[in-house]
Amino acid sequence: MARIVLEHLGKQFGSVAALRHLDLEVAHGEFMALLGPSGCGKTTTLLLLAGIYRPTSGQILFDGVVVNDLPPQDRHIGMVFQSYALYPHMNVFENIAFPLRLLRRPPDEVRRRVAEVAALVQIEGLMDRKPSQLSGGQQQRVALARALVKEPTLLLLDEPLSNLDAKLRVLMRAEIKRLQRQLGITTILVTHDQVEAMTMADRIALLKDGLLQQVGTPDDLYYRPANTFVAGFIGSPPMNFIPARIEMADGRATLVGEGLHLAAPDALVPVLASRRGSEVLVGLRPEDIRLSPVPAEGAPQARILDIEPLGREMVVAVTVGRQMIVALADHGFGGRHDQPVWLTVPTGRLYVFDPATDARIA
Amino acid sequence: MLREAARGPRRPARGAALLVLFLGPFILLTVTFFVAPAIITAVLGLTDLDETFQGSFVGLQNFRGFLVDPLLPRVLLNTLVYVVFTLGFNVGMGLLLALLTTYLPDRAGTTFRAIWLLPRLTPVVVYGLLWLWFIDPTPYGLFNAVRTRLGVPPLDLISWSPWLVIVLVNGLIGASLGMVIFTSAIRSIPEDYIRAARVDGASNLAVVRHIILPLIRWPLTFVLVAQTLALLTSYEYILVVTGGGPFYDSTVYALYVFRRAIQNGDYGYGAALAFVLVVVGALAALVYWRVLRFGRMITEPKIEVD
Amino acid sequence: MAQTAAALRPWRTAAEVARRAQRARRRETVGRLSLYAVLGVLSLPLLLPYMWLVAAAFSKNVSYGLIPSGFTLENWRFLWVRNLGLVTGTEGRLPNIWQVVGNSLALAVGTTLVIVVVATLAGYYASRRSFPHRTAFLQAALMLQAFPSITLLVALFILLRSLNLLNSMTGVVLVIASLHLPFALFVMKGFFDGIPWDIEMSAMIDGASRLRTWYAVLLPQVRNGIAAIAMFSFLWGWTDYVFVLTFILKRSAWTMALYLSSVIGEYRFVDYGVMAAVGVFYMIPSLVFFVFTQQYLMQITLGGTKG
Repeated sequence: MARIVLEHLGKQFGSVAALRHLDLEVAHGEFMALLGPSGCGKTTTLLLLAGIYRPTSGQILFDGVVVNDLPPQDRHIGMVFQSYALYPHMNVFENIAFPLRLLRRPPDEVRRRVAEVAALVQIEGLMDRKPSQLSGGQQQRVALARALVKEPTLLLLDEPLSNLDAKLRVLMRAEIKRLQRQLGITTILVTHDQVEAMTMADRIALLKDGLLQQVGTPDDLYYRPANTFVAGFIGSPPMNFIPARIEMADGRATLVGEGLHLAAPDALVPVLASRRGSEVLVGLRPEDIRLSPVPAEGAPQARILDIEPLGREMVVAVTVGRQMIVALADHGFGGRHDQPVWLTVPTGRLYVFDPATDARIA
Repeated sequence: MLREAARGPRRPARGAALLVLFLGPFILLTVTFFVAPAIITAVLGLTDLDETFQGSFVGLQNFRGFLVDPLLPRVLLNTLVYVVFTLGFNVGMGLLLALLTTYLPDRAGTTFRAIWLLPRLTPVVVYGLLWLWFIDPTPYGLFNAVRTRLGVPPLDLISWSPWLVIVLVNGLIGASLGMVIFTSAIRSIPEDYIRAARVDGASNLAVVRHIILPLIRWPLTFVLVAQTLALLTSYEYILVVTGGGPFYDSTVYALYVFRRAIQNGDYGYGAALAFVLVVVGALAALVYWRVLRFGRMITEPKIEVD
Repeated sequence: MAQTAAALRPWRTAAEVARRAQRARRRETVGRLSLYAVLGVLSLPLLLPYMWLVAAAFSKNVSYGLIPSGFTLENWRFLWVRNLGLVTGTEGRLPNIWQVVGNSLALAVGTTLVIVVVATLAGYYASRRSFPHRTAFLQAALMLQAFPSITLLVALFILLRSLNLLNSMTGVVLVIASLHLPFALFVMKGFFDGIPWDIEMSAMIDGASRLRTWYAVLLPQVRNGIAAIAMFSFLWGWTDYVFVLTFILKRSAWTMALYLSSVIGEYRFVDYGVMAAVGVFYMIPSLVFFVFTQQYLMQITLGGTKG
């Protein structure tokens, strides 16, 4: 239960900057996800928080207290490693009890707390087993229990779901979220899977190459991405980026790309007008694109390139000229390869990015 | 492929020829100079061959002779003290060195370990030379030079405590084996366990006690078994530094075999003594094998075509 | 739960954190310093004798057993004097050093050749081919490897005598090589095991016979293994003492180990300089080996896990 503040935090390994001046705040009891592709610095941040790495610049504050120089054993943190790191020579009980024994708590208190936390993650019957005798899901629960048993100030999770199979993953996602709500412990999760981050976290911090791209609620990142990286990372299938030019006529803005004319919604006109004539990148999410087998007014024509059925929906790749665009259609879509279709964006939900800075303009 | 098939009936002969070519020399040499001597030892032990190379079968007389050998009790005691204390030193020091050097940055750790490997890599005679210089009873030797400097009269270490000398002489050699093995064992402990332990609240000492030591139990067993066997049967260093003296005070069993058989020429009796050692060695090798499940090292080849 | 959490948390204010951090920092520095101190105390006494050895080899006088003085090359006269006289001057002289070096080289090189050739051949066969009693063979070899061969000295002495191989380098070469063959076999087998079967299979599909595959394709792959056991074999031959002591009785067939041993015996209380010089001279190959493989040695995982 702590408020965590990262001030201009940076970490260098020799000449490599793993993390660059990260500024981030995590509120009491908040569930924050550090999201990004491998090498973006999210695990580095986690290890800095745990005290295993020392920052080369910046500060880490727990409840307003600078803890840079505090060694891991004194930080009162619980951490679940990606590999779970359960001590192989100790059984489940001993693994969970370990932090308490290090704190020299009396044996009956240890027993009580271990039992409590074991009940919390539902592993009561496994106490005598060794980690090698547990399934992946069970190991993870034990790791969680060990992290929680000391009622930590901060809970750190390093890609907790990546070693689990798909079904278990969905289950544990809900479990962990429920636990966090119930216990109210400030939690920071590291993952490269945007679905994980979107479904579990209160807020997400998206990182790339050691730099923070955007921090906000899942909705913030989805509907109001700060740049092309965020827009392309969040959402699956990923957003389409189409080069286009802003053309103004009669107070209306049109985005003209290769073989494509897209009418911009009125709300965006003022912003676009100030950039008339310039080259931009238009972002369209596959789910915002409608494909029609019959020509529609003003709709650009495309050819079907590929269809991937996913059960309840289909991913359809079409080409407009040389540009490939991915769209989602529901399972009733009857198109076939090489057939012509017409694209519309009925929601008017398009995003405009500046190709020079990758930042979102509209 | 067709060529191979056409060779048909010649294959078994060809296979046999290859076997002889590849394995033949190995088998010939090991049988002649390794296996046969073991049997010869047994046979010799039943004779009274002496330095004139004349002897006859005397049955178990030599073995019965153990009971009346006046030197044997002292030798056995020497061996016991030697093995126990040197083992303790080897394993203890090896472990200590491994633990200490793995906590240092790589370069420093490697340097210290390199220093401790020097004795093992020095030729026996040179290593012996250095020790002889060290324990030289005149003020030329290092030990006594320091004593003289401090105003203390020189001391003949070998006479004063032969046991101490042989334990240290072999200990410095033996410690390096444990050190290398334990270092690599400690290094191979996944980093995550250490990190998890730290986050759980463990200090350096706690990490060593609760995580590192329990996880190197296997190599520890290996070193104990290997070293015990080596200590029971090695005597080179003792031979060079003390010669087994004064008199027989620093002679261990393996050295006793050498002295009786090679130096005194009692080949028959010596062989009988050696035979005991051969049996012990064979049993220990078996234990080695069992304990460490060497069976895992053998896997079947994948190409069956001849 | 918030209350008990605070109870378990070891700190609460900035001051406490600062204190803990300071304590941790101090513990770390003290720890590191004492680590170096302890290791230094333990290791220095090991290093000193070697430094002394080199120093004494080039000094006229070694006062108080430690500090050498008076640079000289006199100690090295055994290299150019025809026969280094014995101090006692009674019996015959020591053999010429170069003859001794020749003997040592013959022993070392001979051992290397035998071991490398035999172990590589056998290692390949044991690794890549099936043959009757293969498992039994490997088990037997493993047991031999663990067996203390030095116990067979007496029998070997008698054996060599009856084969008329005493006093000859051949005899010693065969003994040393044979006793180390099981170990060398497993090292080479290990290296052969590490070659993916694909390479061999594709060579065979390309039309090579097994013999040809062996020397054209597989052998180059195990170059490192061959280098390793060649180095070990050379040293085993060069530094051997017990076997040469037992099997070589003729002065002209002495190796460096026996030569040095004799010099020690003679010059021990008289002239450490000569002893040291011979010692340094003898040690050169070992030192070369040491320097070249220092890094490699650190990475070897020994015993029990090599397949």
